[in-house]
Amino acid sequence: MAAIKQPSVLPGFGLTFGFTTFFLSAVVLIPLAALVLMAASMTWHDFVRVVFSARAMGSYRLSFGASFLAASINLVFGFIIAWTLVRYEFPGRKLIDALIDMPFALPTAVSGIALTTVFAENGWIGQYLQPLGIKVAYTWIGVTVALTLIGLPFAVRSVQPALLEVQRDLEDAAETLGAGRLYVFRRIILPTVLPALLTGFTLAFARAVGEYGSVIFIAGNLPMKTEITPLLIVIRLEEFDYKGAAALGFVMLVISFVVLLMINLLQAWGRRRIVAGAR
Amino acid sequence: MAAGAQSASLDDVSTRPGRDTIVSSIVRWTFISLSLLFLAALLFAPLATVFVMAFEKGWRAYVHSFADPDTAAAIRLTLITALVVVPLNTVFGLAASWAIAKFEFRGKSFLITLIDLPLAISPVISGMVYVLLFGLHGWFGVWLQEHDISVIFALPGIILATMFVTFPYVARELIPLMQQLGNDEEEAAITLGAGGWITFFRVTLPKVRWGLVYGVILCNARAMGEFGAVSVVSGHIRGLTNTMPLHIEILYNEYNFVGAFAVASLLTLLAVATLVVKTLVERTGYRRR
Amino acid sequence: MSITLDQVTKRYQGLPVVNDVSLDIGDGEFFVLLGPSGSGKSTLLRAIAGLAGVDHGRIALHGRDVTHVSAKERGVGLVFQNYALFRHMTVADNIEFALRVRRMKGAERRQRRQELLRLVSLEGMDERLPAQLSGGQQQRVAVARALAHKPEVLLLDEPFGALDAKIREELRRTIRQVQRELGITTVLVTHDQEEAFALADRIGVMNLGRLLELGKPQELYARPATRFVATFLGAANLILARQTRDGIRFGKTAVNASAAGPLQGSRDHEVVAVVRPEEIEIAPTREDLASGYLTRGAVEEIVFTGALERMRIRIEDGQEAAPLSNGNGNGSAFLEVTRTQHEQRAFQISNGQHVAIGVRRIHILPTPLSSFTTCATTESLAEALVQQPLLAELASRMKTRISTRVEPKLGMPGANCEGAPEFSGTTVIAAHSEVVYQAQWLLKMGAEEILVLPQNASPPQRVLIHWADEAVRRATLAVSASILRHVSAEAIYIGILPQQTPAAQRPHGMRALLDARSEAQAVHGLEMRTELRFGDVSHELARQLGELAGQMLILGIRGHADLPERFGSLFAESRWPVLIVHRQHDSPAGQAGQAYQAGQA
Repeated sequence: MAAIKQPSVLPGFGLTFGFTTFFLSAVVLIPLAALVLMAASMTWHDFVRVVFSARAMGSYRLSFGASFLAASINLVFGFIIAWTLVRYEFPGRKLIDALIDMPFALPTAVSGIALTTVFAENGWIGQYLQPLGIKVAYTWIGVTVALTLIGLPFAVRSVQPALLEVQRDLEDAAETLGAGRLYVFRRIILPTVLPALLTGFTLAFARAVGEYGSVIFIAGNLPMKTEITPLLIVIRLEEFDYKGAAALGFVMLVISFVVLLMINLLQAWGRRRIVAGAR
Repeated sequence: MAAGAQSASLDDVSTRPGRDTIVSSIVRWTFISLSLLFLAALLFAPLATVFVMAFEKGWRAYVHSFADPDTAAAIRLTLITALVVVPLNTVFGLAASWAIAKFEFRGKSFLITLIDLPLAISPVISGMVYVLLFGLHGWFGVWLQEHDISVIFALPGIILATMFVTFPYVARELIPLMQQLGNDEEEAAITLGAGGWITFFRVTLPKVRWGLVYGVILCNARAMGEFGAVSVVSGHIRGLTNTMPLHIEILYNEYNFVGAFAVASLLTLLAVATLVVKTLVERTGYRRR
Repeated sequence: MSITLDQVTKRYQGLPVVNDVSLDIGDGEFFVLLGPSGSGKSTLLRAIAGLAGVDHGRIALHGRDVTHVSAKERGVGLVFQNYALFRHMTVADNIEFALRVRRMKGAERRQRRQELLRLVSLEGMDERLPAQLSGGQQQRVAVARALAHKPEVLLLDEPFGALDAKIREELRRTIRQVQRELGITTVLVTHDQEEAFALADRIGVMNLGRLLELGKPQELYARPATRFVATFLGAANLILARQTRDGIRFGKTAVNASAAGPLQGSRDHEVVAVVRPEEIEIAPTREDLASGYLTRGAVEEIVFTGALERMRIRIEDGQEAAPLSNGNGNGSAFLEVTRTQHEQRAFQISNGQHVAIGVRRIHILPTPLSSFTTCATTESLAEALVQQPLLAELASRMKTRISTRVEPKLGMPGANCEGAPEFSGTTVIAAHSEVVYQAQWLLKMGAEEILVLPQNASPPQRVLIHWADEAVRRATLAVSASILRHVSAEAIYIGILPQQTPAAQRPHGMRALLDARSEAQAVHGLEMRTELRFGDVSHELARQLGELAGQMLILGIRGHADLPERFGSLFAESRWPVLIVHRQHDSPAGQAGQAYQAGQA
């Protein structure tokens, strides 16, 4: 406790700090350590065998490929939706603005079964795609659709405030300086919201990689084809192969940390640009 | 979002000279239609499906599906879990935000990162860590079995996994809010002779109440709807360890669509209620950052 | 005494934000802490309230030491800059908060609340929420809330900061009235000198964490002791002048202005004169002036500000009368002048007009350091010295000027100086191995302060002080205090006794040390550490200076004949700046004759 200094006169630091660290350790840190320890108790050979098995590789391909695709779709449509909500007035705008958070509030099992029903061969949308030869449900496309829905609020909510900000001063200034609208968009708006766009992309990607509930209904769950990594972990656990599950979990944990780091760097970059711009 | 400020600026832009061209209306309608189409396919259609499927066989079948004792048990279990998890995480959120927003200490930003950690972790891993700790082949599995304590495939495991997943929600709402509101009012209370508890209950708590409500409803929505983490620790024992989302899965896999979507409709209504409260809170001036 | 601060120091990340402040505030006094932002005044107020701990020193309220008492127990009333009203409570609940905490009965509470609301003229506003009140009304509520528990001390932290001018004035009157009515000891923090004048019984001026001066508003305005206070309290022209037996001289003209202050020292020397803009008179010709003639000038700028007319006048003859700086901080050949409507009617002026300038009243700053003159054998060497960072920094902080002087025979034994016979202010020479002979030569020519400047010296972190003769103690301390007012360095007095000092005489050395310290504290408000050494003076000083980078020496001497023999080794290395203070006789009046009161009871 020597490293802690307390300049404030308000009481309760010891109590709240103690409770915070205790609770954090008990609920989050110690269980996570158990996972790392379990993975570390494997021999290197076993670890490599589990982590780089053909089935695991197939699941990474799907998980990361579909997540990347979904995040990219969200990058584009997140921007379009945020732009529409910020710039245009139309009936129902406020309702839609509120509904953007729906995928976040809706339990994943619900969105999973609902999406599957809509995109099944006889579903509302699936029936029109079927004649075109596009099969969504029980394929990698279905996985991508589910992951897109999950990531949507993150993409929109990251860009929206940035767009709201940029409009005010910069854009007005550029316009009075004689810049055309496309030019303003390309040279002013896009560069300003770029950190927010990338943050949104990364958040959506991070969320998609770990997603389980909404995907398992719409994915066919065929090994090597439509089996995502979290599902593979669950299967290993059900086989009581704790070490195999822990090894795969460890890989995902490391990737989560990398993504988390990227988000922090992106946000720091965005802040720095804003601060530098204000000088 | 910042609805008031937003519409003011909208007004401002649309009345500018030279704005009302054909090109700009085409751009405008393209953007609006694209947004609406995308949302319709991805969001509105599934939402509507939930209710259409739930009422497919009529009102009576819908009501009847809740008469199933297993469904009732699932609803009860979900409520119990939320009732334990949400208050605990609320107390944690209050303590953490007080420690972090009111004091300076080394490693503060690291602590904040740790608190946010569960958000970045797959729900499956959130459940798995407890299996690794308390499961049959986990670190404490044998000891627990000897003492006849069941954590995994039982209520404690479900509560722990839910707690892990919803851990940061209240704290991450309150920390920035308290930091932003500053310490002036608390310091004023102290100079007026108030002690720590009085200051907390009479000054700080009312000050951050909307942020608290916001965090609590998000935490609650997530706690009731969590699927992945709970699925790993629950064991899917009908009538015993099935929460509502797990029960949906079982009914769905048994092709009992009316039953599955009936339960789903309840959870959808919960989500709608959450969004309504959230919108109301935002209207008091408390805004999502 | 209601509030007593004793050597209060508060550091933030190692840097002192409140530096050794001692202060007594009497019962019922309205005291204003005035200073620019970042001067430490708010921190000091928070320390009194108990919201910030102190690293050193003591705080007492009504004789009770409260240094380690929590804010909760101190029972002071504090009004915050941003009101800090509890925004979810009504006005009534806000005001009654302190009473509820003290478990006062409902009826009594209501009665007290009514009293307070009447006091701040907010009757009937009980049930409003803070958001429904204007800024001025919110601050009134904050004042009422702070007074509810009948505190013995009321503290106000920039209470008018967020309000517009009109309401500010009104609220100012209310607070003064409330304070009179209750007779409560009040401390108000502000950066607005007008506010300080309007409210204060006494003002304390802070800068860079130090309490520079304190006194009644009129006294401080009329007789500031430091450049900072002179220019911070209202506008001021700082002008270099010479003080002679016959009075004050600006260049060739002697001014017969009143209240020139006491003559310092026995002989002519350069001083810094403060001339307030309203003390300057202008007239078409010298003969029309009712006051002492100063110089002639051309009007460059006229600004009408309502009651007063402000103008800037460029000085035309007598460069010596050029002001060092005025309130606006632009050191130039401009004089700031203000005139009343009455004066304007008597003599209409337009831009570019040539006028005669007179001064009605001059105040001489009791600072021993006036200006700097770099001195070298060639013009380019002298110019190069002006660019040295330490000198440039010192001059800019002291708002003074640096001039150059070429002495081709600088340091030559037997040679006489070629420039003007007198040496003004501090003479600056470059350090090199033979510099001690140049210093000796300059002292012989009459220079009193010599700064020996090594290449690229920067402002010091520590200033060592030593005098070789008790007779120059006073002068050395005065110079040291003046230097330390402008650099944030710690001061250390080094007392040195010969190695063979008999044990019986050692207590005597100790006593001298303590005397020096208490004189520095009492007369100059200068807090310094003391160290006692044994051995050869020059050797010990050189050793101490060599220990650490960023040190400077202030050396007081009397007589210059044996300078090379005694102190030659100190200058030979040219690694540290040395300021030599030389007096033939100690000045009897003392540089601090002008009421520097900080630290005195």
